[in-house]
Amino acid sequence: MGKPPERPPFSPAGLLARARSLLRGVFRRSRVEAEMLEEFRAHVDLRTEHLVRQGLSWNEASRQAHREFGHAETHRNAARAARGLRVFDHIRFSWIDVKLGGRMLVKHPWLTLVAVMALAIGIPVGLAPMHVANAIEAPLPEDPGNRVRALRYWDPATTTATLATYEDFEYGSGRLSTFSALGAFRSGSYNVASEDGRGTPVTGAQMTASSFEILATAPLMGRVLGTADEAPGALAVALIGHDLWRARFAADPAIVGKTIRVGSKLRTVVGVMPQGFLFPLTQQLWLPLPRESAAAGGSGVRIFGRLAAGADAEAAQSELSAVGRPPTPASSDESRARLRPEVVPFGMLFLSVPRGGLDAEPGFYFFQLLALALLLVACGNVAMLVFARTATRFRELAVRTALGASRARIVTQMFVETVLLAVVGAGAGVFSVDWLLGRVNLAALAGEPALPYWLRLDVTPEAIVWAFALAIGSAAVAGVVPALRITGKRIQESIQRAEAGRSGIRFGGVTGALIVADVAISVAVVGFAMVLTQRVMDSRTAETLAGIPSEKYVAIQVRVPAVAERDPESPDSERVAATQIALVERLRSEPGVESVVVADALPRMDHRAVPVEVEGIERAEELRGRWVGTARVDIDFFQGLGHHVLVGRPFDAADLETPVRPVIVNTVFVDRILAGQDAVGRRLRILRSAPGTEGPWMEIVGVVGHLGVSMVNPQGAEAMYLPAAPGEIQPMQVGIRVASGPETLAPRLRDIVAEVDPTAVVGSPVVLSDVRQGDWYIMVAIAAGLGLLVGVLVVLAVSGIYAIMSFSVSERTREIGIRRALGAPRQQIVATILRRSLIQIGLGALIGLPIAARVYYEFGGSIPGQTSPIVAALVATSLAAGMVTVVAVLSCLVPTRRVLAVQASEALRAEG
Amino acid sequence: MTSHAEILPGTLDLLILKAVSLGDVHGYGVLLRIEQISGGALEIQQGALYPALYRLEHQGLIKSEWGRSDNNRRAKFYRLTALGRRRLGEEQASWNRLAEAMATALAATPREV
Repeated sequence: MGKPPERPPFSPAGLLARARSLLRGVFRRSRVEAEMLEEFRAHVDLRTEHLVRQGLSWNEASRQAHREFGHAETHRNAARAARGLRVFDHIRFSWIDVKLGGRMLVKHPWLTLVAVMALAIGIPVGLAPMHVANAIEAPLPEDPGNRVRALRYWDPATTTATLATYEDFEYGSGRLSTFSALGAFRSGSYNVASEDGRGTPVTGAQMTASSFEILATAPLMGRVLGTADEAPGALAVALIGHDLWRARFAADPAIVGKTIRVGSKLRTVVGVMPQGFLFPLTQQLWLPLPRESAAAGGSGVRIFGRLAAGADAEAAQSELSAVGRPPTPASSDESRARLRPEVVPFGMLFLSVPRGGLDAEPGFYFFQLLALALLLVACGNVAMLVFARTATRFRELAVRTALGASRARIVTQMFVETVLLAVVGAGAGVFSVDWLLGRVNLAALAGEPALPYWLRLDVTPEAIVWAFALAIGSAAVAGVVPALRITGKRIQESIQRAEAGRSGIRFGGVTGALIVADVAISVAVVGFAMVLTQRVMDSRTAETLAGIPSEKYVAIQVRVPAVAERDPESPDSERVAATQIALVERLRSEPGVESVVVADALPRMDHRAVPVEVEGIERAEELRGRWVGTARVDIDFFQGLGHHVLVGRPFDAADLETPVRPVIVNTVFVDRILAGQDAVGRRLRILRSAPGTEGPWMEIVGVVGHLGVSMVNPQGAEAMYLPAAPGEIQPMQVGIRVASGPETLAPRLRDIVAEVDPTAVVGSPVVLSDVRQGDWYIMVAIAAGLGLLVGVLVVLAVSGIYAIMSFSVSERTREIGIRRALGAPRQQIVATILRRSLIQIGLGALIGLPIAARVYYEFGGSIPGQTSPIVAALVATSLAAGMVTVVAVLSCLVPTRRVLAVQASEALRAEG
Repeated sequence: MTSHAEILPGTLDLLILKAVSLGDVHGYGVLLRIEQISGGALEIQQGALYPALYRLEHQGLIKSEWGRSDNNRRAKFYRLTALGRRRLGEEQASWNRLAEAMATALAATPREV
């Protein structure tokens, strides 16, 4: 009542004051202490003066004042304690802690290995999302000052950026004062003829002369493109990249001034750019972007610029929003009005990422949290191991406490030991990621021939700093938490337990929850890893994957460029049609060729997925249809692949004449979307992002088997095929079935295409069974990653279970001895010991199993002889769950054997 | 002069808050003021003063500032914060209730039992 309460009631102001005082005491310790001593001196002086006024001599007064005040050091310590700072006095990191920590690493090699492995995977996984988000926003290599920004027109409804026009570029160039210069470019693919006259495709870009001013990269030889090159009637020129110069022109030192054929036009080489200059993505050829060509082409350009001195990106954004876009004719569509002009980092010009960056996406935080949650699970497991290791040292800790070591001192030491473990883990993680990044084909993972040159995912110094910060954080979780628990309030009780021959430590519910979580995640992930592994294995047998003998087909990509490269994006469709018809005729006349098919995607290749609504099937408003892989195919496509239409009819020439064309779907579509009902005669339409803009209703006229629409899920992916007339598919994938094997035709394919159309840009011929596109690489990478994750989780769970089982067995040796002496049967003792672990393992498997089954079902895993996907999912994932459970149960065996080896008399004698 | 009384455990903080509430004062001044307002009945041990002052400052109940004393000596002056004023009010009310209860209890006569 009258006595002030021990702890003041909670108040934000009080909390803030405490935090401020604590921080001041920690970070300004010497100043705080100097002030304290000065205050004490002032106190003594004031007292002395007071006593002098009462009649004492100065010397006497001073002596008495000092005597009354007492020892300043004592007051100082009491004052620090009052401020809650004493705990920091005990935290002193010393080399001895580090040495001790090092010794512990060596003394428990298995624990070290498991913990380091867990953190070596957990820390990079925790860092990855933020690292990728930062990489996308990093400045161009040519722009160390980070002054280059891109201008884009963002459609919030579709969350995509649309291309700008040349008029936008001109309009902005004259009006935006926050940019010192604006540039525009448009990328494309060009046939560049070499000495022997054969053309090979080269990625290039048409660029304004101002672009080179912005990038300010000096050419290796010659000059860059200038404004004079854009003038009407100017000499046709080209600037080439270092790699192109070396590979195609044998690093000819006299290349500048020579003429090369680009497409159908002869161009004079004006310069060679240095190695590493690949602007804007992976380009090797740069051509002028003259006004009349850009305006006539109609297709878009991309705009970027250098910020003017003193202007920042925010100012540029405000100005761009104010300036807007050039006025357009009234006929322009409403979607244009929706577009938002934005100033963004250069990399975001190519990505459908909101202006704030990847981290502005709502889904990003989910991934970041998921990654950190995995790290937390790893830390929890390491904590469990550290806890078990500390248990073996409990006597030492108890003795140290008895000798006066403070709690903070012991916690610090354990923290340092775990920091050492975590730093080794983080280092191992960073090095392995760096090593892997140098060896894994990231471009293939993204389904591209090469990654943009500015996208650097390597380990940066910043990433290393973050990795070590996470290591410290992990050590705080994995080291400090167990240490606090062990040195907790009941240490006295624990010491008494230790004196009685036990470790004095009890494992709580947290460790049990961790084991449950480990087993659950392992089981869930094992199911996913199984589907993917199955896919990777399946893709070896081409027949299974594509539904056709794909090893007999050779595929080649052909693109017919626009006349005089006026516009690489929208060519003359009549010319494309003529080339397609002539090429198919020419190929069919080749000896050994059995059939020729044309499509925008052949089996085994990535098919474009679109959302589809089927008439008569209700859908929720928020559910924008089912995603279905589509291919636009020539009307002889299925016959050409030797694949019969199972129900209904194949396409015929009349289908191309109707205003709304029919479609053919695959059996998976029928099973999954139509629930096995009759498909022929039903109608479907393609949904678009904005409501009210759905495509026309199209009638299903036939059903075909699976034709390898998705590498990830060849037999389980819904697909539909749309008929396309010659000229409508660009670029076209041409598949040729060769009786004598594709190897005989492949080397001559380029020449054959060149005979038909010398301007056509031809890709490399590839046997269809060797096609491995983006999805396949992603699948392998995910399967490998998940495999590793499962491995680590299982090892962690097993080590945790093993450590805790061993520990509890040695804890209960005395009890077991007594029970055996009293005649308890072995089975009963084993059951008592195993019960807890078995419940944890079983609970984990039960939680993980439905997740695994769901994933397995979604990805359409199958087992031989089993046709029902639900049964297949349950059987396969139960096997996975069983596997994980068996491994977990095995980890209990060694400690259990030890229980059975306990002799009653020995146990009692040893512990008594 | 009144003979010295023992300070009850836990009342030091309350006395300091009261002393500081009467006007900005330095550490030595707190001692003198407590002596003065208690009519010389309460004398604070110098060793107990500073830990209590720092504890109250740490809790945000008082705050300090360097200034000049009457005889122009540099000294640290303490002042009550809003939080301290509120706490003082609560403690004072609580103490008064206790004192009243104690007085009533001690004034009881056999007839009242």
